Amino acid sequence: MNRVRNFKLILWMIIGLGAAVATARFMFGLGAVTNLSDRVPWGLWIGFDVMSGVALASGGFVLTATVYIFKLDRFHSIVRPAILTALLGYIAVAVGLLFDLGLPWNIWHMMIYWNLHSPLFEVGWCVMLYLTVLLLEFFPVPAEKYGFLSKIRGFLTKLRLPLVIAGIALSTLHQSSLGSLFLIMPYNVHPLWYSPIMPVTFFISAIGLGLMMVTFESLFTGWLYRREQEVDLLERLGAAARWVFLLYLAIRLGDLAVRDQLGHLSGGEWQVKMFWFELVIVAIIPTVLLFIRAVRRSAAGLMTVAITGVTGIVLNRINVGGLVHINRGETLYLPAWTEIVITLAVIAGAALVFLFMAERFKVWEIQPVDPDADPIKMPEFHPVDSSWLGKPEIVARTKYSLGFIIAAAVGFALLSGEPLESRGVDPVPAQQARGGDTLWIDGNLDGYGVEFLHVRHWYRSGSGESCVECHHMNLPLDRNSGCYHCHSDMYLPADAFRHDWHSSPTGGKLACHECHQKGVVRAVESAKKCDECHNDLIPSEASIEVEQYMAVSYADAMHHLCIDCHTKEAVPRENPDLPRCTTCHKGQRDIIDATVLDSDRRNLTGKRTLLPPIHQE
Amino acid sequence: MKAILTDTTKCIGCRECVIACKTRYKLDNSIPRRWSAEDGLTARNWTSIIERPDSKYVRKQCRHCIEPACVSACPVNALQKNKDGAVVYDSSKCMGCRYCMMACPYGIPRYDWDRQVPYVRKCILCAEYISDGKQPACTEVCPTEATIFGERDELIAEAHRRIKANPGKYINRVWGEHEVGGSQVLYISDIDLSFLTYGQPLGDKPLPDRTASAMHAVPYAFVGMGSLMAGIGWVIGRRMKNEEGGKDKPEGEENE
Amino acid sequence: MHAWIEFGSGPLFRLCFALMLLGLARIVVLTIIGMVEAYLRNDDKIINWRELIGKTVSWLFPIAKLLKKRPVYSLVSFLFHIGLILTPLFLAAHLLLWEKSIGFAWFAIPQSLADYLTLIVIVCGLTLFLMRALYGPARAISRKQDYIWPLLLVIPFLTGYMCVNGRISPATYQWMMLIHIFSGNLITVMIPFTKIAHCVLTPLSQLVTGIGWKFPRGAGDKVIETLGYKDRPTWVEQPRLGLEKVTTVEKEAAEK
Repeated sequence: MNRVRNFKLILWMIIGLGAAVATARFMFGLGAVTNLSDRVPWGLWIGFDVMSGVALASGGFVLTATVYIFKLDRFHSIVRPAILTALLGYIAVAVGLLFDLGLPWNIWHMMIYWNLHSPLFEVGWCVMLYLTVLLLEFFPVPAEKYGFLSKIRGFLTKLRLPLVIAGIALSTLHQSSLGSLFLIMPYNVHPLWYSPIMPVTFFISAIGLGLMMVTFESLFTGWLYRREQEVDLLERLGAAARWVFLLYLAIRLGDLAVRDQLGHLSGGEWQVKMFWFELVIVAIIPTVLLFIRAVRRSAAGLMTVAITGVTGIVLNRINVGGLVHINRGETLYLPAWTEIVITLAVIAGAALVFLFMAERFKVWEIQPVDPDADPIKMPEFHPVDSSWLGKPEIVARTKYSLGFIIAAAVGFALLSGEPLESRGVDPVPAQQARGGDTLWIDGNLDGYGVEFLHVRHWYRSGSGESCVECHHMNLPLDRNSGCYHCHSDMYLPADAFRHDWHSSPTGGKLACHECHQKGVVRAVESAKKCDECHNDLIPSEASIEVEQYMAVSYADAMHHLCIDCHTKEAVPRENPDLPRCTTCHKGQRDIIDATVLDSDRRNLTGKRTLLPPIHQE
Repeated sequence: MKAILTDTTKCIGCRECVIACKTRYKLDNSIPRRWSAEDGLTARNWTSIIERPDSKYVRKQCRHCIEPACVSACPVNALQKNKDGAVVYDSSKCMGCRYCMMACPYGIPRYDWDRQVPYVRKCILCAEYISDGKQPACTEVCPTEATIFGERDELIAEAHRRIKANPGKYINRVWGEHEVGGSQVLYISDIDLSFLTYGQPLGDKPLPDRTASAMHAVPYAFVGMGSLMAGIGWVIGRRMKNEEGGKDKPEGEENE
Repeated sequence: MHAWIEFGSGPLFRLCFALMLLGLARIVVLTIIGMVEAYLRNDDKIINWRELIGKTVSWLFPIAKLLKKRPVYSLVSFLFHIGLILTPLFLAAHLLLWEKSIGFAWFAIPQSLADYLTLIVIVCGLTLFLMRALYGPARAISRKQDYIWPLLLVIPFLTGYMCVNGRISPATYQWMMLIHIFSGNLITVMIPFTKIAHCVLTPLSQLVTGIGWKFPRGAGDKVIETLGYKDRPTWVEQPRLGLEKVTTVEKEAAEK
């Protein structure tokens, strides 16, 4: 009996989780919450939220055409839910797009800067216009509840036929233009998918998907509210859909034959398997099942067909939207959990609004009874608050909001990790340089590095005690510690101090006041410097001023040390090439960057440390 | 129309061009991020040197196509081809859809994935400098003249002259002369450069042409579909009226 | 050990803190919605706004009122609250944590003052517990959480004091810090779900009372009469119904 309420509670929790992720998305940028990259600029949010979302909402124009153009009045009872699904679907698309756009506040630029060559421009405009049409088409439904709106309602009802025609025309345009988007990428999209007739296949599959989506939505809400499911109507829709799927199958295969790409079908690459999988679940299984009368007449059978077909076409959109692009190199894009959460949250929001509308307005012929709105229901006792929750509405409100905040808080806790703080820099532990008189320095062991003539450098800087020219700080009891000991990460600054060792029962049992002054906050600023106790830590002639506790990244440390000296030496040695990259990186790969010698440490300092950051000038 | 010609046989891989570019545009230090591609181009590296086997170096940068796919794809005109032919970016117009990144056949545009306010980043051929008659930073500093700047026609002629003079040394092809309508960054080389397009040969047909036919069909499709629907609706409605003849008003319009 | 401390002051703290903030926002919003609903349902109520606001303000600082009735209790309670609010929010060591996690911090109170406040909180907390336990009338209206809270609140203060003054600590710094952090987290997460929620609900309590109770004489009967619910229990009456009546209502519902 609490089917509806439990479903809504789950929806609210998903939205709560989504709210936390959304905060991170707008605070830290796209990189923090998505697996998108320079190779994979479009991911789940475009492939599913936008492209599939638009296609999923195509039930609206298919059914309005059936009822108002082809005048098949028996479908009248499922037109309203179909229009509502379409309306909410398009709103969800717009909301999903706001997450995906890098600069969502500029989305209105589409209205003032026109580029008539861009298919995306056309899609944007059509979606905007069709959203307006859908609003006008659906407006009479809530309006019939309010008397003062009856005039507008009457006017809109008269306008219905032109609106329906405009809606169908607009849908035709942008459903197919979503295919046109990819016409410009003949070298990226896999040849099994790329075709000059992509607009046509997109349009046809959208019709099939619209029929399947109406079936799914009708059956699911029927189950949810224990409503009588309109199987007799859906059977007819299924009967129509099988021809659409058959047509789609024929066009896809025929297109491959015409373009002479059938040879690709037998390969062993994963794309080929993906193509077959997609085609089987998008067209073959639904078509076969729909030709069986028993399947068409059972709710379970129709549901199976609907779920298979919807999954298949969504997969098709995700594939074309980026998954099967060739130029992505070796990297396979899989959406991050945060991307999935946002997607689900957008859908959950749309579903909640759908249920809200369905419970309050006459979306179906028979309005479902909202179990929460039952007036003779007893108040519930809440064990945590040990209080009575009052009437069912209040119970629902209390529970949903609780679910929402708990999910949001869990989201915040899960997000507060390294991925956000390191800003996409993966920790790479720096490794010891290897070799004897000549050292091979490649801290990340990728094979590209610098051959360092250790003995010659020592000799040239005056031999003897000249080690201190470079070795500026040593581990306690050590004389020439390796760089990697303190500069322990390739690209991230590291903590060179071990607090837990100094004051732990297993290490040094130092009392707090031995390093921290009494009466002052115990922070790194007020603590003793390392060399106040370890007086052999820093050689007296060290040429480098040591930043104690914190060590810059290995790459920065090496560049700083070498290039500073090489720049100085270039003048007396009359060798302007001395500070250049290739002087050390001989014939090897570029170490990504050698221009800004001293890294912008403030961006990264302290992110991975146990202590508060050292203030830098 | 201005152009850059890069002769990979002359490149010694010193990366002075990379440094000059970063210095001129005050680009931040870039460290390998999760989202970086392996070719070295990032939102903070607009050009990079790719090392190929046998110490061959190839400089990668925006090709400044004559008919650029990115310009045609951008829905808000944020990417434009200016009078010198440089494909420049107007960050105030951009809405961040990243269609340009998808559309580019060379995979050039990069994105500020870690920024709250991210922009598309790529080489802009030092547009404001070349319009003043100056050189781009990269060609200015190249110590071996491996990458040179000039008028496109002259550079193509020069490229063919070099190939002709040294037929054994070069592959007989000027990369960028015809591919996808030609580009303003040209290469001559002794190694195959198809790795710049992920091993795929590019045709000569400009990419914008491929969407153009679909875009031209838009008004016809709209009017056609609209009138088709109106026509069918009218015919069916009339037929139903005739069938029901003497009966009451047909259901449909007012009933709902 | 160290990992646990890191976990407690990192993800776990963020979880608890987020739950506290969101939970407090939730109860405020729910209370306001409930009040608005109640007000709209019975808009014939007589609400003396001036009196209400005056009362609310005077209850924000209840010391003057209580000083006459129970001077010791009110004084102890007042001191307890001051220490309870000031110390965690303005302790310099906590501010460093704030700066690390959210990027900014505010002014700090001197360490010595923090020490004294901590001691005051510990003493006051224990006193409040004893007064409640030993004073008959207070015991009569106390729930379990009323006894637990003063003791629970003392724990982080006690361990925190021992962390700062290691000499009196019975265990190592790490153990004390661990208990400090975890008890602090527990308190944080419990705030919106227990009586500590009065930290945000206090300004509303007089308003709730006003809207809830200031009926015109005989209003309730009239409402039931107007609604025609005279012979039928409505939800308002439900909590007071006896068991038999409840079952009859359910039977009726089932029959329908």
